[in-house]
Amino acid sequence: MIAFVQTILDRFLCGLYALTGVAVLDYLLGTLIIGIVVVLIGELTAGLVLRINRQHLDDLDTRIAAARRLSTQALETGDRQAYRAINKEANDLFGRLFFNGFGLSAAALWPAFFALDSLQRHFAEAGLSVTLGGYRINYVLLFLVCYLVAKFLLARSKRLLTAAMLTAQAKIPNQPINQSTFSC
Amino acid sequence: MQSIKTVPIICGIISILMVAGVLIPGAWAQTQTPPADQEKLALVGSDLGLPGKLGQELAKAPAGKQNGQIDPQAPRGAFGIPGAPQVNYLLAIVWATWVGWIFSTVGAFGGVMAGVGHMTIYGLGDFTRSFKQTAPGLNKTLTDSIRTSNQFLVGLSSVLSVINYLKMRRISWPLGLALGAGSIVGAFTVASITGGRVSFSQYQGWFGLFVLVVGGVLVYETTPRGQASKKAARAAAQAFEKSVKEKADTSVQGVQVSAWGLTRTSLSFFGMEFEFNPIWAFVGGVIIAAISAFIGVGGGFLYVPYLTSIVGLPMYVVAGTSALAVFASMVTSITTYVKVAGAGMDWVLIGVQLIGVFVGSMIGPRTQKHIPDIWLKRLFIVLALYVGLGYFSKGFFGQAWVPM
Repeated sequence: MIAFVQTILDRFLCGLYALTGVAVLDYLLGTLIIGIVVVLIGELTAGLVLRINRQHLDDLDTRIAAARRLSTQALETGDRQAYRAINKEANDLFGRLFFNGFGLSAAALWPAFFALDSLQRHFAEAGLSVTLGGYRINYVLLFLVCYLVAKFLLARSKRLLTAAMLTAQAKIPNQPINQSTFSC
Repeated sequence: MQSIKTVPIICGIISILMVAGVLIPGAWAQTQTPPADQEKLALVGSDLGLPGKLGQELAKAPAGKQNGQIDPQAPRGAFGIPGAPQVNYLLAIVWATWVGWIFSTVGAFGGVMAGVGHMTIYGLGDFTRSFKQTAPGLNKTLTDSIRTSNQFLVGLSSVLSVINYLKMRRISWPLGLALGAGSIVGAFTVASITGGRVSFSQYQGWFGLFVLVVGGVLVYETTPRGQASKKAARAAAQAFEKSVKEKADTSVQGVQVSAWGLTRTSLSFFGMEFEFNPIWAFVGGVIIAAISAFIGVGGGFLYVPYLTSIVGLPMYVVAGTSALAVFASMVTSITTYVKVAGAGMDWVLIGVQLIGVFVGSMIGPRTQKHIPDIWLKRLFIVLALYVGLGYFSKGFFGQAWVPM
C-alpha cells in the first residue's frame, strides 16, 4: 500500500520538478507546490478531526474556562488555598485539551512526512541542495520554508476570500427571510 | 519557596547523573568492548546510498548475514537499512491509534507509548542492540534516530497549541522567555553532549527508569492518600464555587507585566500580583528540557505541574507558556540530534504513525465516558510498571526481569 502511494507520489513529483526546465527554479517551485498540496490535505483532515471532536473540545474548553473563572475569583477574594485547589483540578483538564491538540496537529501535519520521504529519496541521495548566502539549504529546511510560505499564502487567501464574500453579501439588498428563501 | 529550589536541584542531580553515566566510560556494567575476532570480518565499506552519519556508520559495520552484521543484498527495512526490521505499517497505525487514544483520554504518557512502539513493537530496539559489539557507532546513531522519532511524535502536540495561544495572546512573555531560553539551553546541551554517545542499552535503561518513576507517581495518585489529596482539592474547589456568585470571566483582560527584573518579575493578573524568579524558571526549563530531550518525550506533563504547583502561577498563563517551552525544546533537540549527531529519520514511519494518532484522538473522547478515570490510570500503571521494569533490567543488566 505504502509502495503504491510512493509510486503515485513519485510520478507526481517527476511532473512537478520539470515545469520550467531550469533545475534550481524547478526545485524551488516544485517544493512550493508540494507544500501547498500538503497544507491543503492537512487542512482537510484537521477539519475532519475538529468536526468529529467538536463537542468534546467545546466541553473541555467550557470546563477549563469555568476553572479559570473560578481561579480568578479565588484570586480576587485572596483565597490562595482555593486557588491552588482549582489549579490542581485544572491540570488534568488542561492535559486532555493539550493532547487533543496533538490529535489536531497530527491530522494537519501527517502529509508533510510523506512529502519529506519523497524529497529524501529524490534529493538527499542525489545531494541536490540550494545555496543561500554561503549556507547550504537541504531538502528538509527548504520544505519547511515552502510549507510555511504555503500555509501563510493559504491563510491569506482564505481571509481575502471571506472578506470578498462578506462584501458581496453586503451589496445584496436585504431580503425578508421567509420559508421560500431556503426552499429548493 | 524552599520547594521551588529543591525540586530543580534534585532533578538537576538526576540529569547530571544521566549525562555522566553516558560520558564516563565504564560507568555501566555493560562496557562496549568489541570482540577480538571483529577485525577479521569484512566491513560494508559503503554508505549504501544512505545520507549523513547513518551512511557513514553503516559503512563501518561488518558485512554478513548474522546478528550485528549488515547484508547489503537484504531488502531494505526501517531507516532504509538493508536487513532492518520491515515495519508493518498496518501494525504501526494500530499502535499509533493506541498512542492517540492514550494521549486524548489520559491526557499524558503518549510519549512513553510511542517509545515502546519504536523500541519493542516495531522491533527497532533488538535490531539496534545487535550492533552493540560489532558496530557501536551504528548502535548509537540508531539510538538517536529512535529518540528523535519519539520526540517528533510527541513534540508535535505543541505546534498548533502555540499558534492558538499566540493568537489568543495568552503567552506570558517574561515567563516564556525565561522558560523557553532554559528549554533551548537544556535541549541543546543534552542533545549535543549525548547525541552519538548513548548506546541503545543505556537509553533503554534510562527510559525504563523514567517510566518506572512515572508509574510510581501514578500509583501514589491511586492510593487512598493520593486520592484524598485530589478529593480535598476537588472539595475545596467546589466549596469555593458555591461560595461565589456567578460572574463573567474577566480573565480575558490578560496578563500585564508590572515589573521586569533578572531575579524578580511581577505579573498582574486580575488585580493580583504574581512574582516569579526568572532564574528559577530558566533553571526549570533547562532541567525539564534536558530530561525530555534525553528520554525523547515532550515534557508537557512536567512543565505544567512545575509552573502551577511549584511556581504557583495561574493556569491562564501556564497553558500557553508551557506549550511554547515544549515547542522550543522539541525543535532544538530534534535539529541538534539530526544536525550534530546525524540521526537518520524514517519519514514514512512518522507520517503513518501520525495517521494512527489522529484516528486514536477521535476514538478517545468517545470511549472516555465509558471508562472511569481511575481505571484508565490503573491500566497505565500496570503497563508502566511492566514496561519500566522490563526496559530498566534489559538496558542496565542485559536481561529483562519480566517476559518481553
